[in-house]
Amino acid sequence: MSTRPQEAAPVSSRSGTWRFDAGDGATAFVMILPAAILFGLFYLWPFVNGFWLSLHNWDGFSDPTWAGFSNYMRLAHDRTFLGALRNNLIFVVAVVVLKNALGLGLALLLNRALLGRAFFRAAAFIPVTMSFVAVGLLWSWIYNPVFGLLNSGLDLIGLAGLKRSWLGDADIALYSIIVVDVWKWLGFHAVIYLAGLQTIPSELYESAKMDGAGPLQRFRHVTVPMMTPIIFINTILGLSGAFVRNFDIVYVLTKGGPNHATEVVLTYMMSKAFQDGAMSYAAAIGYVLFMIVGLASVGLLALMRRQRLDV
Amino acid sequence: MRAANLSLNDGAAGSRRRGLMQRLGMRGILELGGIYAALILVLFETLYPLLWVLFGSLKTKQEMLSNVWGPPSSLVLQNYADAWRIAGMGSRIVNSIFVTGSALIILVAVATPCAYAVARLRFPGRGLVVAVAVAAMLVPPQVMAIPLFLVARDLGLINSRLGIAFIYAATSLPLSVFILRSFFITLPADLEDAARIDGASRLEILIHIMLPLVRPGVALILIFGFIEIWNDFFLAFLLLRDPLVQTIPLGLVSFFQQYDSLWTLYFAALTITTLPVIVVFVAMQRQFIAGLTAGAVKG
Repeated sequence: MSTRPQEAAPVSSRSGTWRFDAGDGATAFVMILPAAILFGLFYLWPFVNGFWLSLHNWDGFSDPTWAGFSNYMRLAHDRTFLGALRNNLIFVVAVVVLKNALGLGLALLLNRALLGRAFFRAAAFIPVTMSFVAVGLLWSWIYNPVFGLLNSGLDLIGLAGLKRSWLGDADIALYSIIVVDVWKWLGFHAVIYLAGLQTIPSELYESAKMDGAGPLQRFRHVTVPMMTPIIFINTILGLSGAFVRNFDIVYVLTKGGPNHATEVVLTYMMSKAFQDGAMSYAAAIGYVLFMIVGLASVGLLALMRRQRLDV
Repeated sequence: MRAANLSLNDGAAGSRRRGLMQRLGMRGILELGGIYAALILVLFETLYPLLWVLFGSLKTKQEMLSNVWGPPSSLVLQNYADAWRIAGMGSRIVNSIFVTGSALIILVAVATPCAYAVARLRFPGRGLVVAVAVAAMLVPPQVMAIPLFLVARDLGLINSRLGIAFIYAATSLPLSVFILRSFFITLPADLEDAARIDGASRLEILIHIMLPLVRPGVALILIFGFIEIWNDFFLAFLLLRDPLVQTIPLGLVSFFQQYDSLWTLYFAALTITTLPVIVVFVAMQRQFIAGLTAGAVKG
């Protein structure tokens, strides 16, 4: 963290001896107050209150009663919750790996002197600008068994045997949803990789070439080491999103079905809260999710610090 | 910032490529052909589904089932009029504009002075404010949806468009303060000192001198905030229960769930809500992509 501006010794209009105006404390207080109120009311208070709530039994209307950690104990034995957690983890790992691998691949394609490069890049980015709802609805029609693009496309190319009920088959529905999420975000990660690739000095490639390195070796020994910070950034962006930005897509595509096969933590939390009225149980689910996201983020940041990555 | 690197000169690339072709011979041409084939495949899987929705929105329902992949044989514009009316698009668009606009105004008004104070003023607890902003970025608002719902209920903010605007502003606040702070920190102190000798107050300095200089930072938080808030379904689903106040994403979902198999109208409604955003993006894509990658890749 830089303290440079403060060291530049502003002059006090009154005495000239103070490095800083004595009124700075009061000014800062006034300037931060609106943000503090907004943050306190809609961020800090729900965060603290959520934990309090998770330690009680409450339907949202009658008087809450103390429950200790019993909500958390129940969660540990709730098969639907554990299934949702498992689906959530599969979702996270799959989308982070696929977005990074395909994003880097697309960026490598685009990082050449090609005619129409700007056009390809912009086109790949279009799904990023669409809402999850729009993307979800679009894909619910692509997967539609009656007029969907996918099944009719398989008919067209003579692979009718591969036709599936993409969202209705419990074995593949989760993976169908993963494809949708990767489709939406691919262009975003590719663009970040592309920006990173363009910071690699071309001399590095040329000297590697002179040392006799082939394309694969150049990728392995020049691109990958130079791109490590970008890989971390893309992993963090993908990871933080994947845990909590799956409600919209799952709700629109399957609502967690068939038979909880695509249930993720957030869809389960919402159905517990608003269908079963189990507010405090749902709050505990939210807290467990927070702890998982927090651990994953802190772990990744610690890993970055060990690699001495200044991000 | 990477803006300069991102603006690619395709003309020069093209002429350089023609030279390469002659030198590289058969192998180079094959390689280039492979790259173009892969890119065209990406282009197809990205754009064709959108084109398909546009085609479908102009077909009759019978044609949609008999001619799944192709363009429409005639243009049924009536689909758009019907979708607009039945889905209540007009009021949903007004709601989305009102909610997103209010939220972004609140966000900039609240985040800017806070970021300025933590970047440029020395006061006890400054480090704490920065630490809280960073820590909050690790707590996605989705995990506290239930207590947030209860707070909003207790404050009477359920079904309130201004209420959800305040909540959106709060959820975007930590990242915005963090981004703006990094812009304020880079500004030279001399500017501010000169104004203070002339007797300007901190607020005057912020508004008249500093704010114009951090305009790229403000643009960045507006872009981030706009994408988040305009497209949000989760918090709107949680807090806007009354159809009269629902925003576009919520309105779309309830339209599809309320009516059975009005397929062509669904396609028209999706086109109405998606096409304007895509057009704006295509018009501004250089600034848009440069803004989004600016924070991630340091120059």
